[in-house]
Amino acid sequence: MTVVANGVRKEYGPVVAVEDLTFTARPGEILGVLGPNGAGKTTAIRVLTTILAPTRGTFSVAGVPHARPAEIRRRIGVLPESAGYPGRQTGDEYLRYHARLYGRNRTEAAEATRALLGEVGLHERRRSLISTYSRGMRQRLGIARALINDPQVVFLDEPTLGLDPAGQREVLGLVGRIANERGATVLLSTHLLAEVEEACSRVLILNRGRVAAEGTVAEIARRAAAPRSARLRVPPEWMEEALRALAGAPEVATAARADGQPGSIAVRLLEGHESLNGGIGALATAGVPLLAFELEGARLNDAFLAMTGTR
Amino acid sequence: MASVARARPRPAWPIVAGQELRDLWLGGRGLPLSLAFSALLSILSYLVATNRSLNFLEQHESVNLTLQVAIAVGAMLTLLAAADALSGERERGTLETLLLTPVSRLELTIGKLLGALTLWVAALLITMPYIWFLGRGIGIVGDALAVGALVGSLLAVFLASLGLLVSVFAGSNRVSLSLSLLVLLALFAPTQFPAGAQQGWAGELLQRLNPLTAGEHYVGKIVVDRHPWSDDVSWLASPLVAAVVFGLAALVAGARFIRLDGGPPG
Repeated sequence: MTVVANGVRKEYGPVVAVEDLTFTARPGEILGVLGPNGAGKTTAIRVLTTILAPTRGTFSVAGVPHARPAEIRRRIGVLPESAGYPGRQTGDEYLRYHARLYGRNRTEAAEATRALLGEVGLHERRRSLISTYSRGMRQRLGIARALINDPQVVFLDEPTLGLDPAGQREVLGLVGRIANERGATVLLSTHLLAEVEEACSRVLILNRGRVAAEGTVAEIARRAAAPRSARLRVPPEWMEEALRALAGAPEVATAARADGQPGSIAVRLLEGHESLNGGIGALATAGVPLLAFELEGARLNDAFLAMTGTR
Repeated sequence: MASVARARPRPAWPIVAGQELRDLWLGGRGLPLSLAFSALLSILSYLVATNRSLNFLEQHESVNLTLQVAIAVGAMLTLLAAADALSGERERGTLETLLLTPVSRLELTIGKLLGALTLWVAALLITMPYIWFLGRGIGIVGDALAVGALVGSLLAVFLASLGLLVSVFAGSNRVSLSLSLLVLLALFAPTQFPAGAQQGWAGELLQRLNPLTAGEHYVGKIVVDRHPWSDDVSWLASPLVAAVVFGLAALVAGARFIRLDGGPPG
């Protein structure tokens, strides 16, 4: 395991920001850290990256116990949530400086900088002042800085915050490459659930400072709380027939026309039922063509909303 | 699998200090501040030179006045630079990335302190031609520059350390700068007391305890009264003690209390 947290607690005076944080992260995996605002994601990352001392509990990163923070810092790369950048430095100067802080000599620092700027697509702008960079470019520069020491574990706190969809895609592509090509463990804190579903092998959901769930995306989605609902689409001319068939199905509480697309039906399931097999069977028996079907509550988004009490 | 970055083989404070120098002098505030300092000395030198020709100010006193202003303003510049060193990083959001490196907070503090002190070095270099011009022909230039360098360096270390100490704990740059300037004004205040209040045992004690007034008094004894350096060396006690005590306090506070959000220790 590259990250092991055991009962970590962090207090700010009377406020408990993180409570009993216990989880593990494996080598080469991307662990998505999710949670609503104020859930303790940033505090948890700051504790694990040794910026804040834990009030209680223990953790180790890259096999180094938390009592040796300088050694942990040598083995990790971090993109903080609200990282600032010195506007009067160029991207090249900025990375070379940080490379040297990690003990590289001038030649090694220049080589590492050149390689990383190429990797994040900033080679052309390496001599430009950081003040002229767009937000997306700064985030990519920040990720390059997080990789300057060839870390075993990379912490990325909201790396896609404020980026347009193209920028988000670029950054998430980079995150995937960090895990796949470099073999580093990535802890990715983000609000973008769809991207977490796509990029992360496992997910940690935090709520009010505590771990609400930990597991693969599929495992967590399965644990999403009831009530579930479903959405179907049939040809509009089959609507009445479809509603009659669904009303007779054993697991259906209600079935009604849904707003939006013609032929769309919203179904709410009875308590304790997790599938719509009976309803789909009834439609088939009645000869209603089924154009689309989605069981809501089986997605990470539904699990997140249910587990964080925001639904 | 990613490899572990190798153990740091050399101290990091020269790297931090080098970056501070670049940030200060290449496009930073170093050059504008030095230009302003130079303009101030030019105006002052012109005025004292004019006064001297009218015989209002004796030549030694012209040199002394210019040197004292140079020391006070030069040391004040280091205070301003040091007061911004950590709280400025904190406010610009760049402190966290520095704290995430394996560089110890002590080395970070040393690098920042050295960076701020270069403003005094620049001020001293700028002062040299003015002192040479005002003191030429009376055999005072060497002594004036040497005593100026000694006293100015002690005061610069004292004030830079003071600024850094405040910056370690200040949550914002505004707090850091205003608090540092307030302390500086308090230190300068005794120079504005009426002459009567500066005499007598209480006045002399106050002057001796205050590193700024004590240092400038010593400069006056060497430059104006032409005393040997050893005669009034006791006046250097408070600048020396202040430089050592505040220097150590800044390093200890930096090593132990630099935090992301600032605030008092605890």
